[in-house]
Amino acid sequence: MPVQVYSFYIFDRHTECIYSKLWISPPRPPSLTGRSAADLPPSSTSTGGLTSPPGPHDPRRGGGVVAATNENVARAEQQQARRTRRAGDDAKLIFGTVFSLRNMTRKLGGDDDAFISFRTGQYKMHYYETLTNLRFAMLTEPGAPSMRNVLHQIYINLWVEYVVKNPLSPVEHKGGEGVRNEMFELGLDRFIRGLM
Amino acid sequence: MGIFALIIINKAGGLIYNRTFSEGLNQLNTNDYLVLAGTFHGVHAITARLNPIKEPPSPPSSGGSPNRAEPASGLEVMETENFRLQCFNTLTGTKFLLFTDTMQSNVDGTMRKIYELYADYVMKNPFYQLEMPVRCDMFERKLNSYIREINSSR
Repeated sequence: MPVQVYSFYIFDRHTECIYSKLWISPPRPPSLTGRSAADLPPSSTSTGGLTSPPGPHDPRRGGGVVAATNENVARAEQQQARRTRRAGDDAKLIFGTVFSLRNMTRKLGGDDDAFISFRTGQYKMHYYETLTNLRFAMLTEPGAPSMRNVLHQIYINLWVEYVVKNPLSPVEHKGGEGVRNEMFELGLDRFIRGLM
Repeated sequence: MGIFALIIINKAGGLIYNRTFSEGLNQLNTNDYLVLAGTFHGVHAITARLNPIKEPPSPPSSGGSPNRAEPASGLEVMETENFRLQCFNTLTGTKFLLFTDTMQSNVDGTMRKIYELYADYVMKNPFYQLEMPVRCDMFERKLNSYIREINSSR
């Protein structure tokens, strides 16, 4: 059964995000930001900015197409910057979430209990932690089955093989050093795409 | 086994009800439960924002937006090796946390029934002050008998 995987993160024992990867389809064209393409009538794509509500009854549409387009370009750049910043912020938020939930689980379920996954209406997060406090987190579609074995496989077959056994890789992966090697990235991408 | 515990968190993240029904989870002291409620409240808010698919929310358009997107739900179910946590967030922001064993079925139905009991015996109690700890005898009694029924039927 194919599973839609959204993103994947690795955190080291110093709580730093040492690897992250997204498999989400590229963002929509800037002229459509904020609204899905299906909501907009085709004629209003260039003027369908965020300030003017789209729709045939809007009296303010029609004039100022050029101004609106320039505005859209500026906005697209802003959005791009925001998106890059968001990726970094997301990693921090995800770490905070798994850290809190893991502690909560340990407190309630005993020290040998492990937090496996949680689901919201929009996505499901899977979590796997090694004995060395290396943390793997993966976001998938909400209906996905347990991906714990997948994360375990990534650890055994990719992390241990290509990062730990790499003599050139440092012991600590500051800023993702040593993780971003070709074999690991290729193997991971192939493995995840095999699931989808 | 079955249903372990129920926690109710008000919309500000404060613990307003907490009851253990059967063994299975570690017993915490009141302070730890308060911390847990606050932590969960924060985590829930973060998980609602972590949607990997959608763009960040667009600024509100003038005159109200006719096609408002469904608000992100936040954490609904959490699974661990020893228990399962189901969270029901009401429209007013009150959260019901139900801790069950990992195999428990029809938790949604149980949650619904508990919410009904809450609506009937807590919200309709004229002496209950909103957002304050729940101390209603009827709620307590009905809840206990309902959960005991579920736990003993297994």
